[in-house]
Amino acid sequence: MIAISHVSKSFNRKAALDDVSLKIDSGQIYGLLGPNGAGKTTLIRIINQIIQADQGSIQVDGKFLTENHWKDFGYLPEERGLYKAMCVSDMLVFIACLRGLTRHDARNNVNHWLAKFDISSWSKSKIESLSKGMAQKVQFIAAVVHQPTYLILDEPLSGFDPINVDLILSELKAMKAEGKTIILSTHNMKSVEEICDQVGLLHKSKLIVEDTVHKLRENQRRGEFVVRFSGNMIALANALWTEFELLETLELGDNRFQIIVKQRGERSFEDLASNLMGKIKLESIAERLPSMQEVFLGLIAKEEEKNEE
Amino acid sequence: MRNSWLIASREFMERWNSRSYKIMLILGPLLILLFTYFLLKFGDQGKNSLRVLIADPANLFDNKITSHPTKAIDYKFYTTYLDYAEFRDGNRFKEFDAFVEINEKILQNKTVKLFYRESPSLDIKMKIKFELERRTEERLIAEFTDLSIDRFRQLKQPLNVDFINVYDPKNQADNNRGWVGIFFGSLILFFIGLFGMTILRSTSKDKSNRVVEVILASVRSSDLMLGKIIGIGLSALVQLIIWAIFVVIGLVVFKEFIFTDIFDASNYEGIQYAADIKNDILLNASSSRYNAFIDLIFHRINYGVILPVFFIFFLVSYFFYAAFFMAIGATSGSESDGQQFVIPIFCLLLLSFYAGFVAMYYPDSFLATFFAYFPFTAAMTVLVNVSMATSASGLVQVLFVLLILLVHAFIFLKIAARLVKNGILNSGHRLNLSTIWLWLKKS
Repeated sequence: MIAISHVSKSFNRKAALDDVSLKIDSGQIYGLLGPNGAGKTTLIRIINQIIQADQGSIQVDGKFLTENHWKDFGYLPEERGLYKAMCVSDMLVFIACLRGLTRHDARNNVNHWLAKFDISSWSKSKIESLSKGMAQKVQFIAAVVHQPTYLILDEPLSGFDPINVDLILSELKAMKAEGKTIILSTHNMKSVEEICDQVGLLHKSKLIVEDTVHKLRENQRRGEFVVRFSGNMIALANALWTEFELLETLELGDNRFQIIVKQRGERSFEDLASNLMGKIKLESIAERLPSMQEVFLGLIAKEEEKNEE
Repeated sequence: MRNSWLIASREFMERWNSRSYKIMLILGPLLILLFTYFLLKFGDQGKNSLRVLIADPANLFDNKITSHPTKAIDYKFYTTYLDYAEFRDGNRFKEFDAFVEINEKILQNKTVKLFYRESPSLDIKMKIKFELERRTEERLIAEFTDLSIDRFRQLKQPLNVDFINVYDPKNQADNNRGWVGIFFGSLILFFIGLFGMTILRSTSKDKSNRVVEVILASVRSSDLMLGKIIGIGLSALVQLIIWAIFVVIGLVVFKEFIFTDIFDASNYEGIQYAADIKNDILLNASSSRYNAFIDLIFHRINYGVILPVFFIFFLVSYFFYAAFFMAIGATSGSESDGQQFVIPIFCLLLLSFYAGFVAMYYPDSFLATFFAYFPFTAAMTVLVNVSMATSASGLVQVLFVLLILLVHAFIFLKIAARLVKNGILNSGHRLNLSTIWLWLKKS
């Protein structure tokens, strides 16, 4: 577990992090979210010991973070950087050795990862000759080649095509299954929904919320339901009456529809189900939770409002 | 330290694998050898053989010069008065390169005029002067003394006045040998300048392509700095050693196969000649000037002392200066931004040359002593002092200067490490002194 306690950092008297505390449980994928300039990269650099916090502490499995932890961490920075004149395998072996592996083990691991990503043929290619996407793959391998327990990824999906996004996401899920702890900073909310267990939202150098993805979405629920049915729309309108408001209608063909309705007052899921039952032929009813994108925007807007007040 | 070595070996291999480094490995010594070749081949540019007409209307020389005239000079006598214009334009004199006018008052005024078409070499000039002087001397002996020529020459001894430094009674100090110190000092400055800029550029490049963030997630900034300095320094040292090997091989080839006549004393008639005229201070000086370069390289350098001192001061000075280049590279917002801050460093490197000359010509002056202890100029000054072997620059002084330089190198590496730590992740800014001060104060 990584426990960050009351960490503060400022640059030229401007706060980049202000008393941030959060906990990342082992075997979790933790999403570190926030708009640009919120302090995510600063926090990530502090966890990676690239810079030091002005105040506060970080503990890893109950022990204060020291240089001995370097070998346990893997890091993919937002702004990718590799030695352009080096060949792929030499670059990766170099990084793995810096992370504490012997040259022999480093070579074995590099070969394993190159084969896994089906890029063994690039092994002797110079980094400068690779396309952006190819270099991103090499950079990802550089972060994981030494088999770290904790993986910190800053915008890991940027620059990848959908096929490679899928590859990286499934790799992250596999690592999680192996018990690795992953901290993910991203603006890709779809991937947050897909793989993150917990998220922390930073805004203007402060942590404004920390919770599981599911709870965050639930907390922001707006009483909206997605209904699929067959029948006619007049019967539906009669069934909804004044208790539910029809927001969207989508015709699916063959007299089938998908609608989104919003509850009014204290009406519940059960009310909606009983209202519709027998009047139309129901296929499914599900509550529509807000997307992480909506949660993110909603929380930031609320925070801005609070600040204005 | 393991990570510093990993970084050092990566830096070294990057240089080693670069084409420009490999080209310079060969090109550098080739240029030095080419320069040496031209110096040896065309060192004495003037005409090396001469047909001389001696116009001696009073026949004072009696159609004779010396018993063993130099082969390179062919003398012919002309016992009629000859005007220089007539010599210049007359067809029958075209075969002669020069003519010497022996006037009838030569025994009184001791003046001879030599008119040439093309300036003779210094060596030929010396020989003509010597031979004319010897012949005049013979005439003087016959005219004004009853002594035999051999007896006169036995008696004739110039008064030698030796200027001796009380601290250097064996006169080991020698300005010519000081040039050796200047040469070795310049090599240090050349490599520091060249590879110091490599450190700066390499650091700026790592900053701009962001690889530094990946590295700093695994190593301390001070380890990164040390690794870079050691790796680049190692490539400088390897280049220097390879240059030295090539240059030494080249000089041996010159000596054994190409310039055998110049290097072999038995083949060099000037040596015998110089021995003959060793009493003549002026001529002796001219003679030594001619073969000073050869003499310096092959006879006067104490390689056993100068080379260890050179390598030790090369290493320590490199670390000392590297701290500045590293700090500038790490704190500057861009490579061009950093280059402005390099100007003062290069001014200090240039000051070393001045310090070298001060140490050579005024070894006992306050300024020479100051430059020896001033870390920026210490290497050059000590090398000049050691090469001149002045007693004031004894082992104790060299060790003391080395200690001062080591302490300063350590202090400035510490300062540089702090600047690297606080500045290396910042880019795109404009570097100024207040920012540097801010980063220096930051822990």
